[in-house]
Amino acid sequence: MNNKSIWALFSLFALAALALTSCAQPTPETIIETVVVTEVVEIEGETIIETQIVETTKEVEVPVEKQVLIYNSYMSDPDPRAADAEVVTMFSEANPDIEVLHSTVAHEDFKQAIRAYLTASTPPDVLTWFAGNRARFFIDNDQLMDISDLWASEGWNESYPKGFQAMSTVDGNQYFLPTSWYWWAVYYRISIFEELGLEEPTTWEEFIAVNEALKEAGYTPIAIGTKYRWTAAAWFDYLNMRINGPEFHVDLMLCKESYDDPRVAQVFEVWRELLDSGYFIDDAAAYSWSEALEPFIRGDAAMYLMGDFIRDSLPDEIEEDLGFFRFPIIDPNVPIGEDAPTDGFFIAANSQNVEAAKRFMAYLGSVEYQTYFAETLNRLPTNFDVDKSIFTESQQEGLELIEGADFVAQFYDRDTTPEMADEGMNAFMAFWDDPDSIDGLLADLEAARLEICAPE
Amino acid sequence: MVRVRKNLIPYMFLIIPLIIYLVWVIGPMFYTFYLSLTDWDGLTTPTFIGLQNYQKLFEDKVFYISLFNNLKWLVSFITIPVVLGLALAMVLNRAIPGEKFFKMSFFMPMVLAMVVSGLIWGWMFHPAGGLINNFLVATGIMEKGPGWLSDRDLVLWSIILVATWRQVGYVMVLYLAGLKSINPQLLDAATVDGATGWQTFWRIILPLLMPVTVIVIVISVIDSLRAFDLVSVMTRGGPANASSVLANFMYIESFNNYKMGYGASIAVILFFLSLIFIFIYLWRVMKDELEY
Repeated sequence: MNNKSIWALFSLFALAALALTSCAQPTPETIIETVVVTEVVEIEGETIIETQIVETTKEVEVPVEKQVLIYNSYMSDPDPRAADAEVVTMFSEANPDIEVLHSTVAHEDFKQAIRAYLTASTPPDVLTWFAGNRARFFIDNDQLMDISDLWASEGWNESYPKGFQAMSTVDGNQYFLPTSWYWWAVYYRISIFEELGLEEPTTWEEFIAVNEALKEAGYTPIAIGTKYRWTAAAWFDYLNMRINGPEFHVDLMLCKESYDDPRVAQVFEVWRELLDSGYFIDDAAAYSWSEALEPFIRGDAAMYLMGDFIRDSLPDEIEEDLGFFRFPIIDPNVPIGEDAPTDGFFIAANSQNVEAAKRFMAYLGSVEYQTYFAETLNRLPTNFDVDKSIFTESQQEGLELIEGADFVAQFYDRDTTPEMADEGMNAFMAFWDDPDSIDGLLADLEAARLEICAPE
Repeated sequence: MVRVRKNLIPYMFLIIPLIIYLVWVIGPMFYTFYLSLTDWDGLTTPTFIGLQNYQKLFEDKVFYISLFNNLKWLVSFITIPVVLGLALAMVLNRAIPGEKFFKMSFFMPMVLAMVVSGLIWGWMFHPAGGLINNFLVATGIMEKGPGWLSDRDLVLWSIILVATWRQVGYVMVLYLAGLKSINPQLLDAATVDGATGWQTFWRIILPLLMPVTVIVIVISVIDSLRAFDLVSVMTRGGPANASSVLANFMYIESFNNYKMGYGASIAVILFFLSLIFIFIYLWRVMKDELEY
């Protein structure tokens, strides 16, 4: 399977390359030709040379090399997909000399295929990706193109806040273009909270009380689908930041703290209380995150810890019934950390159409694009020249949530190394299934950390 | 000279498939052997690390879970579908009304792509809204249906059930073909000699079906070793690797965790495991060919 897949991929790329070379077709163009017509007329024995300038319009086949731009996107959820396609249309209309070959790949598959994309001889020119460690890994491996010139010429060094500049910059050069970000929070169904007379909890005690009340009333307090594991990582992120503070969390992500630290064990103790009390939905492992939305939409489950992209998958009438609150504070003495992942784009280092790619990137970083994205998908823009008055109420609220935080993290699998994220998320799953095994799991995680993060 | 040319012609025809086979199968195979001795993340150049991947593999818990799951799959596969398939073949090998319809129905699952079967059963196994749990709850057999694909003790058996459902029809067709090739005179002779139905089955039919049985078992073994599609579609090996099989483990390590070298070493182990049974199969097939 392994070897076959690689070769199958290669052959696909070979085919794609073949298809591309045949794309530059001559297009019929209307041109205006100026023809000087010289007539020699003989009038009464005299020879007069008459010169006339005649303009003729004719259709000629002029071979115009349309630049081809390959754009691979992971925006496969319905709403982002539509918006993404619209963006490509808008760009193509404004740039008729560029033909955008746009393909959308389901995001779990995209994450798996990206290395094959990047190492192909004709990689996609522009790709969607995540800021943070996931981008850093490719930058360190020279797979991302240096776009410092674009940052300078587009004025992004002024219009983007420092934080976004920093996450795009390695050794003084910019490689990444963050375009949108969103916040994480506990989302809930307003109608259920109203029915039971519940308030948005701010402290852990209140949160537990809300869970208890929901359970009592026959609701599933918390929906979650852990088939793809990362949803559980959000719980780890928040519990760790609320119990041990963002500084410890970041150090743990950077492998500077150990997983057999008693502080980590404490996180799982609190987590376990939630599990043992039966606050989470049954059989979480059977669902993907969006499949677990079903009970939330039906009104059987009341809360869901999720990023704001939860909106993309909700029907409109549910969206009106959707509220969110900051993940409750466990220890008031600890600074507040929030997850606010940033998404964006980059140009592959081996891009064959750099000029077209840069023009597309310039568009993606522009106020026009970011305004469109902020309006249609409720994401928050990274370009601060975007008019803030277009923000909806929830966007304002989300912005406040993040502005009120002392520290902003990306997300578990974006903050730590890919290998460690994988080990960690496996351990979360094993813990979820059998909380008693936590001591062994943490010992294994620590062994993995020492191996993965060992100085080379 | 003429004779030499005559002998060359078949080789000329074979050369194209041979080249394709070399480039697309044999080449990548040896490349995988090489990769299994390297550390490769799919981006940088592979670094040679000797047998370290194998060393790590033999200490990896997930490897043993996967191997053991493959064994469970294998044992179920050479018993349940074989017995059921043979039983169906015996029942349907006579002129009963609707015999064609039944044969078709039992073979139908085989026609569906594995991925489709996996998806359909995934919905049927859905813990809250699935067909099976709704039935169990509606008929009062259970108050709350089990989490077929989220319970670590159940998940593998749920998937094996789907695989079995698919395999039975296939085995049935193989046995039906085998039964057709049995000389009816032998059966008539047995009847004349006063053998009961059971005696005919055990003493005459089953021994005569022996070649088919060997093929069926070897195919079942190979199918169970290459099990991947259903696991990948239904659970991706989860929860917490409870339903992981070697092929899925290899895929996840290679393409999800980007440990290409490590994934390749799993592929090599799987290759040699399969090779044993493929040899038995080929040996059997060739022996049969020589007999006729």
